[in-house]
Amino acid sequence: MIALLVALVATVQIRSQAEVERSLVGIDTTSLAFVIDDLHRANDSLQAEAADLQAREATLRSGSSGAADQVLADEAGRLRAIEGLVPVHGPGVVIVIDATGLTSLDLQDAINNLAAGGAEAMAVNDHRVVTGVSIEQTGAGVSIDGSVVAAPWTITTIGDANRLSEVADLMTKALNADRRVREATYRVESDVAIRSVVSARPFVYAIGA
Amino acid sequence: MYRRQLLSIGAVATVALVMGFLVAGQVKAQLLTPSNQVARYQALVRSVQDLEATNAESRRQIATLRTEIDVLESDAAGRSAATQTLQNQVADLRAHAGLTAMHGPGVALNLANGIPGPAAGGQASYLVNYQDVQDIVNLLFAQGAEGIAVNGRRITPLTAYSGSAGQVVIDQGPPLSSPINVMAVGDRNRMVAALDDPSALPDIRARQVQFQLHLVFVGSPDVALPAYDSSLQIPHVHAT
Repeated sequence: MIALLVALVATVQIRSQAEVERSLVGIDTTSLAFVIDDLHRANDSLQAEAADLQAREATLRSGSSGAADQVLADEAGRLRAIEGLVPVHGPGVVIVIDATGLTSLDLQDAINNLAAGGAEAMAVNDHRVVTGVSIEQTGAGVSIDGSVVAAPWTITTIGDANRLSEVADLMTKALNADRRVREATYRVESDVAIRSVVSARPFVYAIGA
Repeated sequence: MYRRQLLSIGAVATVALVMGFLVAGQVKAQLLTPSNQVARYQALVRSVQDLEATNAESRRQIATLRTEIDVLESDAAGRSAATQTLQNQVADLRAHAGLTAMHGPGVALNLANGIPGPAAGGQASYLVNYQDVQDIVNLLFAQGAEGIAVNGRRITPLTAYSGSAGQVVIDQGPPLSSPINVMAVGDRNRMVAALDDPSALPDIRARQVQFQLHLVFVGSPDVALPAYDSSLQIPHVHAT
């Protein structure tokens, strides 16, 4: 009986410890600190979204005349901007990369770095870019949604200008150290306009659940 | 007499229990190097886990709120044709933004860590990283995917990837690690052909050879994707 109890308690202790470290095995403390920083920022964004949804729900529950229409119209406008279906403007950063030999992967990485750094809308040489728009390597160079975009690349972004300028600073420093790049610069602007839009694509295969 | 026996058994059991805790504590302590570094590491791990729990709870709350809002909007749409038209437009926009669950033909792909190799400068190359996930998602969208989810996290028009070696962070989700499962709805023949193309995903294919990175995929007549459950805020963007 005593042996059983001891074995049980010891097993529970050891398994709990293993569980604690299960998903984080091999991560150094610096990386963990970055994970914590990212999670703090992510949780702040999630709470902002939840607050926004609660406000929307309260408006709908008020049952006031036209409340639902207003909520739906606002939501439609916001989603069209997110999906790149309408021209937009706002504060942001414009990055110009003059280079020879950069590939579609370089452009995809640049776009992703800016998205991770807070870009809410983007365009490259007046081609609107959202996730899902194809950026591919062709014989004639890099293409966006089928159109070749020749150097220099002008990446226009809208979002938190402070965060974006930090990302742009790091990005241009790294690019200027790349032999393929003649010059990479950026500027912060209080009002950047993105006029290009993505064409709406109806689903062919997908079925709503 | 019987009462005294019972008391003795109780006392022995209590002592045994305490001993069990002591032994387990000792075993646990001996498993770890007794240093401040370890304590600091464990504190950081606990912080990550607390934040991940908050993250999961917030995402559950967001999913619930979106469902409740859908119901309220449907009620309002039932009372007005104009509202119904608006709701249909929003439903279509939400579907394209990844805010609603979908299913259909597609592909299921699994990517897992390989084996550490002796090559210099490639200490982490055997691990799946966020660029691998980004490359796969971009390839699938370029080949006709209409919706994609990675380990149950739906990709949206604003999706961004980040992370360090072996950790993949997508938008506001918690870090994901190997194995990574990518599900895509769309033209499955086109997507499978693209994944079969030896010139596609060159970095992953090179590491398949060098580090036995694991990549398998299969076409499927019906793949199900969940709805996006995180933030889609664009506070700095204004329609022109």
